[in-house]
Amino acid sequence: MTEHRLRIDPADRPRATILIVPPLFDEANRLRRTLLLAMRALAWEGFAAVLPDLPGQNESLVALETVALDDWQDALAEIAADLPGPVVIASIRGGALIDHGAKAAAWWRLAAVSGSSLMRTMMRARVAADREAGLTSSLESLQAAAQVAPLLLAGNALSPAMVAALGEAEAQPVQPLRSIALGTDGLAGTPLWLRAEPGEDAAMARAIAADIVAWSMACGIN
Amino acid sequence: MTEASSVDATLRALLADILGLGEERAAALTEDSGLFGALPEFDSMAVATVLTEMEDRLGIIIDDDEIDGEIFETYGNLLAFSLRKVTD
Repeated sequence: MTEHRLRIDPADRPRATILIVPPLFDEANRLRRTLLLAMRALAWEGFAAVLPDLPGQNESLVALETVALDDWQDALAEIAADLPGPVVIASIRGGALIDHGAKAAAWWRLAAVSGSSLMRTMMRARVAADREAGLTSSLESLQAAAQVAPLLLAGNALSPAMVAALGEAEAQPVQPLRSIALGTDGLAGTPLWLRAEPGEDAAMARAIAADIVAWSMACGIN
Repeated sequence: MTEASSVDATLRALLADILGLGEERAAALTEDSGLFGALPEFDSMAVATVLTEMEDRLGIIIDDDEIDGEIFETYGNLLAFSLRKVTD
């Protein structure tokens, strides 16, 4: 099944297509508005920008509990192969865990995070929510339960395969890659993906677009 | 900066990032400022995010069984817990 792709095109023939790999789970919602602003800024610079839904996420009709981490990697590879080149992959946070199976002219990663860190946060949210509901659970008991049945974490039903793969997932080497963090040595902005309530940051969106454009040009894309 | 004031600054920045407090509200937090139950943004997901970010930014490991409700009751409690972890 083809998933929805949000695409913003420049006025003229695109210099390249930027394939945006969003953060995973709720972090994608918190950053979505700012990512869209960055996509508009990219279009202004002559780049097409594509933000695909991963199977089981956003508008997808696939049940998340049937999805494994590899499926996301494969889906991105298919999408990248389908786009007119050159393709530059821009991944944020957990998106960096699934962007290495696709073929691209260059990769750009913002604030890449390990799968174990994402899992730990979601497991802790479940433990805290259980405690409020008068139930007792722990990271260990949830991990054990996740081996045999889908585990509900912060609204996401994750398959045993997904829990196992995500817990060990690290961003893989790709070439050429620019990996950038937030902060004084990196990109100016705030970690909106951590924010309890969605916000937006137009200045950060412009900084994201400018950095992707500069890196694309450094990789020979004109 | 002393270690205590650096932990304090890190903690305020982290709460500002996660709860969207803005610099002014984060700077205005006192020992008695209520967190969980007092700030509507401070839900169970925010608690979990705070713990993981504390680990990353303060370079500490937090065990499940070290966490009780009291830690998140006030800013002072959270700061005291963080200082204890950092000096451990």
